[in-house]
Formats: sequence, structure tokens, C-alpha cells
Amino acid sequence: METELCNEAGRLLEEGAVDYVIGFAAGSLKFTTTPLITSDKNDTVNLVNNRFITNNLAKYLLEIKGRVGIIAKGCDSRSIVSLIQDKQVCREDIVIIGIPCAGLIDLAKVEKLVGKDRDLIDDINIADDKAVITIDGKKKGFEARQVLFDHCLSCEYPVPREYDVLIESPVNKIRDDEAGKKKIRELQKMTPERRWAYWKEQFKQCIRCYACREVCPACFCERCFVEESQPRWISPAPQWQDNLVFQVIRALHVAGRCTDCGECERVCPQNIPLRSMSAEMCDLVEELFDYKTGLDKSALPLMTSYEPVEAEGLIR
Amino acid sequence: MEDNSQWQPRIVGFLCKWCSYAGADLTGTSRKKYPANLTILKVPCSGRIDPLFIMKGLQMGFDGVMVSGCHPGDCHYQTGNYRARRRLALTKKFLEYMGVPEERVQASWVSASEGAKFAQVVVDVVENIKAVGPNSLFSEEG
Repeated sequence: METELCNEAGRLLEEGAVDYVIGFAAGSLKFTTTPLITSDKNDTVNLVNNRFITNNLAKYLLEIKGRVGIIAKGCDSRSIVSLIQDKQVCREDIVIIGIPCAGLIDLAKVEKLVGKDRDLIDDINIADDKAVITIDGKKKGFEARQVLFDHCLSCEYPVPREYDVLIESPVNKIRDDEAGKKKIRELQKMTPERRWAYWKEQFKQCIRCYACREVCPACFCERCFVEESQPRWISPAPQWQDNLVFQVIRALHVAGRCTDCGECERVCPQNIPLRSMSAEMCDLVEELFDYKTGLDKSALPLMTSYEPVEAEGLIR
Repeated sequence: MEDNSQWQPRIVGFLCKWCSYAGADLTGTSRKKYPANLTILKVPCSGRIDPLFIMKGLQMGFDGVMVSGCHPGDCHYQTGNYRARRRLALTKKFLEYMGVPEERVQASWVSASEGAKFAQVVVDVVENIKAVGPNSLFSEEG
């Protein structure tokens, strides 16, 4: 399946169908990948497809001008559709090489599970619903669901729906939405006071590095409200009050654009459970407006459209 | 427990200039009384109300935020209030999830002819916010 992927990407560049290809290459550290952006067909042999292709590559479409071939898993393809809806990219300018996603491995979960740093782990393998982790030559068996990202457990669309070419590849069949949203359900059971206290503690950790914003394909404003100076909505210094306002407004800004790809949470250096905000926002969007991001490129973006009657009972 | 019996909530209200603001005017010109807890800010349309205004209102220490615009179908700009409705519905539900009591953010449709409704809305908003008490969400200890 990787060969097919490399061939397809190489062919696109060779034939001049695209100027660039965006995909994944092996990272410099074990169990990581890094985005690969190239115009050289010889580079395409370095493309990989494995359980660590975490980035949402749709982000790079906003920066690369020209015709682009992009490798997209389920969530990436939905983000691309959302960008098309928002007129940030032109469908005609991109060639989507779809890869069905087998579910991505959350290294933090693996480390916690085996009580060892990732450097000490030799191998992580998943076959069907079983995971095998090898340490010092010894194999340990686990359930696959124990090592997949929460958002992968909740994933409804592992196979891209929008593509030009679809590469044959195994698909994530493990779907356990309740397991994927365990943290959210726990929060929902709390009193409002406890919930607020919880988020307050979380946002005391925030150092406002904006990694969440920079990695998010839905965050495409050229000028973010946090950098406005007249009025200065929030202070650039990381105080929890401003951190919280920033993140709540960010969640609202990306409502209807967020595909629950989980990147914000993965890149957070302070381990703030940002997906507990974004996934809940996706649920609210579906509950209130029966809308799911990135399924229909001809649909109007959520926040620019309306139904004559909706959201009853919230406004008197 | 501090004594809250004398406490009066401070509420910021974002009112659309075509409907609710004119409705508030009518309340005054028809000599109807309503609580003085409300600080009114005039906006050109309920569609102008950014969720950020609501967050900033709460962060600045207002005990409640009231937003009000034209009834669905009556927007001076045709669709501003429909868009506002999506934004407000999500903002309200999401803030509730974050732990902001739902009473703190209240939305209503008030037309320019509904002076009496405006007065009643303010009475109810004040009452609801009194029930949840002072806003200490963003205070250091709170």
C-alpha cells in the first residue's frame, strides 16, 4: 500500500498534474512522522503510511500556492472539504490521494500502559483489534482500543469521502464513541462549579504558545483576534482568564469547521485536554443544527447559513 | 458567607438598534418601569454580537449578559438575526458545558413595538441572575 502511494504521488509530479505533493515521511524520532512537502518526484519514495501519521495535512493547503497533490486520511479529507466550503482552497487546484485510516496510535497512552518511555519501546504493532508492544524483546498483548487516540475511537469516517484516487489500505473498524468521549461524559456529570474549576486549573497550565492554533486547519484567519491591539481583547501574557477566553472563542470560531482530528490536544505541550472542548463542540453542532463538518463540499459553511426554525427554546 | 441581601446584579445588554433598542426606548417613552441593573450597548444588528463580547462581559465582572434582537423574519438586514441565532445557541450551550450557569447569558427577541415585553424581559433577566448570585467566574479565588 505504501508503494502504491509513492507511485501515485510520483506519477502526479512526473506528469505535471501537480506542482507539489504533501504527505508524510518518517520522523527523526521513533514512532513519529513528519509532513513531507516536495516538488521533486524522487522524494516521493520517502512517503509513508503507518499508524503514526498524526498531522492534519489540510493545514498546508493554506500556505502552498499552485496545484497540490495531498495525501489525506478521513479527518484530513473532511478538513479539506471544509476549506473548500469556506473558499480557502479551490477543488480544481488539488488532487486528493485518499488513504483509509487504520486508526492512529497515541504514544502517550502506550507509555502509560507499559510504564516506559517511548525510547525504551522496540515496536508497537496492531493487527485487527489486538495490539502487541515489544520491549526488550518481550511481547506484551493489549486491546487495540487501549492504544488508539480517543478521537480515533470516536471516528465515524476513517475512509475519505472526497478523493481523486483512493489507495487500498486497512480501515479502522474499532469504533467506541463512549470510550472516545469518556472524559467529556465525566465532565458532563459534574456540577457547573466543578466543571469551571476543572477548566480553570487546566488553563492555568497554558503558556499561550498557540501550537493548537498553528496546527489547526480550521484556524485560518490571517489576523487572529488575540493579536488585535485596538481593542486588545486579551492580554498576550498567559493568565488563565485570558487563556480560557482564547480557547472558548477559538472553539466557537472553528465550530462547523472542526473535524475532531484531535491535533490541538496532541500538540499541546502542557497536555491540556483541548479535545474535550472541540469534540463537545462537534456534538453540539450536530445536536443543534444536524450538521457534520466536511461531508458536502457544495453546502454552505455552518455559520453563514440558517434554517427558518431551529435552536428552539434557547432564545425567548 | 457575605451578606448579599443588598446586592444588585450588574448586567450588560447588547441590543439591536432597529428592534430591541427601539423597544427599550418605547418602554421609556411609555413610562414603564424596569430594573436599573441593565447597562445598554447599542449594536447595529444582533448579527454584530460576537461571542467575544459575551465572554468579555463576563470576564469584566458583569453578573449577566443580555442579548436581544429582532424576531426571526424581521431583521433589517434580512438574515442577521438568523446568523446570530446559530452563534448564540452554540455560545450558550458551550458556555454551559464549560461551567457557566445558563442564567448568566440570556437571549431574547424584542421588536420596536414591544415596550412592555422589553420591561418584562429585563425583570426576568434580573430575577434569574439574582438567583445565581454574583459572578465570580473570573476572579482569582472564585
